Amino acid sequence: MSFVIVQVIVGGLLLGAVYALFSSGLTLVWGMMNVVNFAHGDFVMLGMYVAYLVYSLLGAGPLIGAPLAMLVLATLGVVVYFSLIRDIMKGPMLAQILGTFGLALLLRYSVFWWFGANFLTLPENVVGGTLDLFGIRIQAARLLAGIVALVVTLGLHLLLTRTSLGSKMLAVAEDSTAAQLMGIRPDSMQAVAWAIAAGATGLAGALIATFFYIVPTVGETLAIVAFVTVSLGGFGSVPGALVAGLLIGVIESLSGYLIGAIYQDIVVYSLFLGFLWFRPQGLMGKS
Amino acid sequence: MRRLAWLSVALALVIAYPLLFSTPFQQRLGALVLLYAIAASAWNIVGGYAGQVSVGHVVFFGCGAYAAMGAYAHFALSPMVGIPAGILFSVVIAAVVGVPTLRLSGHYFSMATIAVAELARLIVTNTDYLGAAVGLSGPTVPRNVFDLSFISALPYYYLFLAILIITLGITWWMTNSRIGFYLRAIKDSERAARSLGAPASRTKLYAYMLSAGLTSVAGALYAMMFGFVDPESGLGILISVKMLIMAALGGAGLLFGPLVGAAILVPLEEISNSLLGGKGAGLTFVVYGAIIVLIARFQPGGILDLIKRRLEKYRKAPETIVAAGTSHAP
Amino acid sequence: MKFNHVVGFLCAAAVSLALAGQACAQDKTVKIGAVFPLSGNAASAGNHAKAALEVAMDIINNAHPELGNFPLAKNAGLAGLGGAKVEVVFADNQGSPATGQNQALRLITEEKVAALTGAYQSGITLTASAIAEKYGIPFLTGESVAANLTERGFKWFFRTTPIASDFVNVYHDFLTDMKAAGAKTDNVALVHDNTEYGTSVANTLATGFKEKGQPIALDVAYPSNATDLQSQVLQLKEKKPDVVIMISYTSDAILFAKTSQAQDYKPPMIIADDSGYSDPSFIKSVGKISQGVFNRSSWSIGPAGSPTAIIAKLYKEKTGDEMDDTAGREMQGFFVLVDAIDRAGSSDPAKIQAALKATDLKPEQLMMGYKGVKFDDKGQNILASAVIIQLQDGENYVAVWPKANAEKAPIVPYKGW
Repeated sequence: MSFVIVQVIVGGLLLGAVYALFSSGLTLVWGMMNVVNFAHGDFVMLGMYVAYLVYSLLGAGPLIGAPLAMLVLATLGVVVYFSLIRDIMKGPMLAQILGTFGLALLLRYSVFWWFGANFLTLPENVVGGTLDLFGIRIQAARLLAGIVALVVTLGLHLLLTRTSLGSKMLAVAEDSTAAQLMGIRPDSMQAVAWAIAAGATGLAGALIATFFYIVPTVGETLAIVAFVTVSLGGFGSVPGALVAGLLIGVIESLSGYLIGAIYQDIVVYSLFLGFLWFRPQGLMGKS
Repeated sequence: MRRLAWLSVALALVIAYPLLFSTPFQQRLGALVLLYAIAASAWNIVGGYAGQVSVGHVVFFGCGAYAAMGAYAHFALSPMVGIPAGILFSVVIAAVVGVPTLRLSGHYFSMATIAVAELARLIVTNTDYLGAAVGLSGPTVPRNVFDLSFISALPYYYLFLAILIITLGITWWMTNSRIGFYLRAIKDSERAARSLGAPASRTKLYAYMLSAGLTSVAGALYAMMFGFVDPESGLGILISVKMLIMAALGGAGLLFGPLVGAAILVPLEEISNSLLGGKGAGLTFVVYGAIIVLIARFQPGGILDLIKRRLEKYRKAPETIVAAGTSHAP
Repeated sequence: MKFNHVVGFLCAAAVSLALAGQACAQDKTVKIGAVFPLSGNAASAGNHAKAALEVAMDIINNAHPELGNFPLAKNAGLAGLGGAKVEVVFADNQGSPATGQNQALRLITEEKVAALTGAYQSGITLTASAIAEKYGIPFLTGESVAANLTERGFKWFFRTTPIASDFVNVYHDFLTDMKAAGAKTDNVALVHDNTEYGTSVANTLATGFKEKGQPIALDVAYPSNATDLQSQVLQLKEKKPDVVIMISYTSDAILFAKTSQAQDYKPPMIIADDSGYSDPSFIKSVGKISQGVFNRSSWSIGPAGSPTAIIAKLYKEKTGDEMDDTAGREMQGFFVLVDAIDRAGSSDPAKIQAALKATDLKPEQLMMGYKGVKFDDKGQNILASAVIIQLQDGENYVAVWPKANAEKAPIVPYKGW
């Protein structure tokens, strides 16, 4: 196996970790509440702008930017839940798509109105440098995002499976009426889920901002990847999103290198559809 | 009887619209409302009546658009000749896609349809025969009336109106047929419908194919009117979403829901863009997004649903105020 | 009962439209419509174009004696129309060919514009100019490069910008000169996105280079707005071309620069095909790690006090950004259009069309480095040309080729960071 292939695979894994990172929030609300958030990509975008603001106003890097983005987005998540999601959840699925799509436009173009359409970036030295491991080059910023992706996935998984908050949330997801009878308030559990999901998404945005460009429409590019990652992993499965993200990253990278970049997404979508044929519930979803 | 009378009055007004509001832009706006109403009504068959939320309907729209432009670009034929070909492609694609994906429930079906549409867009973008990223153009100067390339929007308006009436007619016929009966049962509870012997998979597939064919007609009409199609305008995800939100906004699963949705959204879009778009601050979409959010939040069943309930309340007012009041709660 | 509501909505919509359209009874003003992507993915370029046209409007409508003999600058308004002012009505095409056409129709029929300009994306220029052709209104594009635009037999369509077939000569002659100066230029790679811009320019370059006896060695296509460009950079790193020609929009240009640095990839020479590499955001974001990149441009800021330097200053005061080639070409197209209206002495479309056909501007009357402006039968400017500029210090482009226009000598190899 040639050396370049190893580099391609490593790059694919790092890319995939980023996919997993910004998909984990989506899969959480999807699985918990059966709500598809069409504004998800724009949550990532907001996280990126928070990181940019933190840098341009305070001169600080992701050490401050990322937690702040998490906090801001978590707050926004709660606000969005109580002002919009709680009510449209009771409606048909169409109302959810309608509401979150409208929210996406509202967020995207509010940022556009405020910041303008220019492309922005964080400076190189915020998380600078490249590690060279026996000739395999790894961008420090991407490595950091990859590590955080693993930590977030593990953290969310433990939260859901090992804590009482997690079991309460799952109980609500399973049967909210029954949960209510047991004294759990579905409302607060779902608000917590939105806070966690939006917070994780904001964190992802702040980290992606360290190696990507920032522009109001960037969420559009990322949202479809997140949808595919979550469907492939299985709705609601956080570990599933990680595995699916890594898989998509590697497949994209390899097919981009071997067949040609313009065909890489064709490969990914074809494999995804083919996979759904055999296993519609995704890699780790419940059937 | 009363219903029929109202229907005639409404139809008369729709026919008279371009004569009452006769500037070229108003006429074009009317034509666009009808065009999007055709697409959204076609979507409504599978998305509204069958309850299968397709977010990839643009793939059929694109079939029609590309078939129409392809007929001109490759065979120098009238774009109209492409319409049957577009319908054929769409129905075949719907069958191929529908067999596996209609087994999936709810969101899985939606995601699968998004993936199919994106796949189609990516393939066309890299296919030279279909103009790749550059797209296909229609006749630059109309050779004869069959090129359907007019300066005025008036001929488009009445053409679209005729096709909308046919589309709604087919939908109405379908809802009153056995298929419509099955669809209602499936939408309520697929398991129950199956256990009662309704052929759920087959019925959904038929609805999907019918919807696909009609959507492709809308795509062909679109391409003829604008004389151009490229991957973004013919297969972009935004068009799928537009069909969906128009139907949802007006009232999905109601015969005239998509028309009402189009009659609100298309003018809203064009007028807010005309008034605010030139400022370049993206305010058009802030307004547009906010209105959609508000409607979803306060009227999740769509505008027509609200009107319908208001009317029922009004009719039943004297005897059942209390009952109507509770049923009105969102 | 529900149908009257449907009709009610339709009527309400139409009434508000009628109200919106009633603002067009001024004298002494010539209205020109401008359709640009003011929202959506290309909004950055569209808003720069809008700012450029507003600066041009200021130059035309107010007296600017400091610009010397620059056409339309000296006195306020248009001399040919008794000092009439020019008003640009902007419209947002939202990145959609359909919206672009709708807005062109609105500008023509509701705003009664005398001429149109725009629309950045070639596909939208195509549909918007089709409606102008049907109504007999001149449409001048200053920036859309797709070859088919001038092949439609239109009588009302004009284009001032150089197009891909012009670039072939620029790049080939530049490389020949560089080779004579001792640089290695045998293996040329094309890297381009799969948009209409990237594909069409790449195809024309590939054909052109082949005809000139130097076939392209490597063609790397990638999807635009990519999330990752590592595989493409690695492909280049492995094949080691002498020259890389980059045909990219801003988003991918930024990502490519960052990925190249991460993978420690420095080709001996990078030539960018304008677009993303001309965007001031590109220089601000990754200029420091793209030092020594060559770029095709028709814009050069010129010595202090020259008309171009003054225009650049006005533009910077307005936007906070440096003037770039794309905005410059749009502005130049607008000046050519207004110059024709001035010479026509009328806002009658047919007279403007005749004046456009008779256009014969000399290089000293232009802000862009064209050899002049003169349209052929198809409406293409036959004197359009471009120069090569280089980002030597990572902050500002300087003209380096051809020698006659050069401010500094070209530096090779590519420095990067």
